[in-house]
Amino acid sequence: MLIKIKSAANRGLETIGVDVEVNTASRGLPGFDIVGLADKAVDESKERVKTAIISSRIEFPQKKITVNLAPADVPKEGSVYDLPIAVGILSTLTNCKIPEKSLFFGELSLDGSLRHTKGALLMALFAKESGFENIFVPKDSANEAAVIKGIKVFPVENLSQLLLHFSERECILPAVYQKTEEEAFDNLIEFDMRDVLGQEQAKRAMEIAAAGGHNILMVGSPGTGKTMLARALPGILPPLNEKESLEVTKIHSSAGTIPPGGSLITIRQFRSPHHTGSPAGLIGGGTKPHPGEISLAHRGVLFLDEFNEFPRSVLEALRQPLEDGYVMISRSKERAMYPARFMLVASANPCPCGYLNHPKKTCVCSPRQIKKYQKRISGPLLDRIDLHVDVPPVDVNELSENQKASEFLEPSSAIKERVILAREKQTERLRNDSIHVNAEMKNNHIKKYCKLSKEVEQILQQAGVKFQLSARAYLKMIKVARTIADLESSSEITISHMAEALQYRPKGYEGV
Amino acid sequence: MKFENCKLIIDKEYPKLLKEIGKDAPKQLYYKGKWDGEIFENCLAVVGSRRMTTYGKQVVERIVGEAAAAGITIVSGFMYGVDETAHEAALRVGGRTIAVMPCGIDLIHPEYQQDLYAEILNNKGLVVSEYEGNMQPSIWTYPRRNRIVAGLSKAALIVEAGEKSGSLITANFAKKFKRKLFVVPGPITSETSKGANQLIKQGAAMVTSARDILDYYSLRKLNFEKSSPYPAIAGPRPNPDFQNLFSVLEEQIIERLQREPLEIDILARTLGISASKLGTTLSLMQLKGQIKLEGNRYYVN
Repeated sequence: MLIKIKSAANRGLETIGVDVEVNTASRGLPGFDIVGLADKAVDESKERVKTAIISSRIEFPQKKITVNLAPADVPKEGSVYDLPIAVGILSTLTNCKIPEKSLFFGELSLDGSLRHTKGALLMALFAKESGFENIFVPKDSANEAAVIKGIKVFPVENLSQLLLHFSERECILPAVYQKTEEEAFDNLIEFDMRDVLGQEQAKRAMEIAAAGGHNILMVGSPGTGKTMLARALPGILPPLNEKESLEVTKIHSSAGTIPPGGSLITIRQFRSPHHTGSPAGLIGGGTKPHPGEISLAHRGVLFLDEFNEFPRSVLEALRQPLEDGYVMISRSKERAMYPARFMLVASANPCPCGYLNHPKKTCVCSPRQIKKYQKRISGPLLDRIDLHVDVPPVDVNELSENQKASEFLEPSSAIKERVILAREKQTERLRNDSIHVNAEMKNNHIKKYCKLSKEVEQILQQAGVKFQLSARAYLKMIKVARTIADLESSSEITISHMAEALQYRPKGYEGV
Repeated sequence: MKFENCKLIIDKEYPKLLKEIGKDAPKQLYYKGKWDGEIFENCLAVVGSRRMTTYGKQVVERIVGEAAAAGITIVSGFMYGVDETAHEAALRVGGRTIAVMPCGIDLIHPEYQQDLYAEILNNKGLVVSEYEGNMQPSIWTYPRRNRIVAGLSKAALIVEAGEKSGSLITANFAKKFKRKLFVVPGPITSETSKGANQLIKQGAAMVTSARDILDYYSLRKLNFEKSSPYPAIAGPRPNPDFQNLFSVLEEQIIERLQREPLEIDILARTLGISASKLGTTLSLMQLKGQIKLEGNRYYVN
């Protein structure tokens, strides 16, 4: 007897339909085989399915069972086929009616229950687009799939419950999407900007970076608060809109980073990979292309602490995604495109020992060592970082009571309001160019939207000579000045906007 | 025996002052550049810490710049830090300078300073060494080199020397050779000025302006623009329209910075204004040439 169950396979962010064909034959020696380019995890599902069925107090048939995963030439991976295979076998045994237009996916546990399985959101999206009406998912993954409206998501706890549902003796109610992270939002931000003492200029730079989506490089000695500033950054970023939210959740669904019971990601992600990470881990890759840190940080913050400790190969690989906002991972058998539009926040020491320009400690590095250290970051990469800011050591004893007490300092929420307003200005201006923030502006946009008055132009030219700015740095200054103007709701870039932007010019760390 | 690009102690052109130091004088002096006797007439050795602070840099640029402009030849050891800055300061005002190498004459050490090396030679300067060929510098050649630096010069100027600095070796040679010892005082809190201040205590002449040195050499100070020994960096003149903007704040800033160089954050705190507004003003003041940024602190020009 032959049964066809519908399931699907995630390849990158795309999903393709997979037919799970289960045949139980009375003739031939008893056995259980899976064909159709199954990887190890799929092949092992034989044991899981068999044990799970027995644990559900159903006798496993002593027949020749053949499972085919069609199309047979697409490699199948993971444990998502446990449920469709089990359902296929059960339906040949019990003759229960499987509702039409239903998609099944999920990993089985040996006791017959279903485990959280990655990719639920992508499956649900595929189900809706391909005209399915029902999707059966593990209970823990149901809230993730329920984000997609217009399709019934059935949270399945275990196999016995599913059988009861099929025989209409006990109904499983479709899951309804429940917000999860929203309440916990405040707890997720580790630091408030008011926790950072001193660092007035660095904080201001963070505000500008957040407002215009600019990449930022912080240079300073160890322990001056670079990491703290970076971790406080998500707290001043505007929340994700619905479309962005879905984009981000899709990537995380595919990577399996959504926890059981988790759902739509509504806050900006903060990723801080360690500098010993591999290129594949950061950019994405593997024999089967997986999303890397840059994609997991999509629409959020990628924080690279100890920027020049990262291997050069990894840093250079960042260049193309920084420019394009996505990364194409090509392997001989598969290729996948992952969005990667993130804000790069990098922090670096000024020299190998870290105490160059430190007011109290003496730097023990030779100029040669310093040059070599700073040269590790290439010019083209630095060109893609709009804001450069020094984070000097702060002597807490020198701060007055008012400057020390955090209740007198500006909280993240107040900065966030200004950032949101500035972003609205940009969205409105850049509406027709399919970009959202000033940082994404290319030359033609700058020409169009950043007209400089004669005086401002003059200031910039003067600065170009005095500070030896490159042509690229020139454009960066204009972009940053535009953001500063947006923060003040000014439609014109004035002299003071440009003069402030010059504070964040590349200083010394040019890698030239 | 006749070597190319080499002066022996018996040669007539061998520097007189160096010969005077007796058995310490090197038997031969290899050189690069064009040898002329004039360059050895008014030599001043300038030595100091490799780990020069911004203060040291300012001092060297100011004092050495003026001395070189007045016609004094600056002799130093081509090391990074004070040496390097001294050579540069001399070149910037069109002065002449001699670099004494701790290695064979055909090597450039440290190698990455080859631009400076070329510039010294292009500006009628000399590179000299007592070692031939490609001899590598080693731990004992540095102090040996210092005796030539001191020996060539009428006087030695010490800027920033730590407690165990190699500059103190040069200072001792200068004393031994009965040369005048000038020392620039440093902050008593600074590690890199401990040795220098010690020398002053022991009786070395304290230098607070180039005048002190020029008097010793009986040279007249050239007329410079106020407090700035080098020509302003060329560029379009500032527009008079914004010249007077922010002027009250500018005055306050200058007043603070004249007392001590400060970081922007500290300046913002003491003046009680936002980093954003202060940044704007500081950028404009920098463009006008009123202040400059060194490391991460602002200085009055």
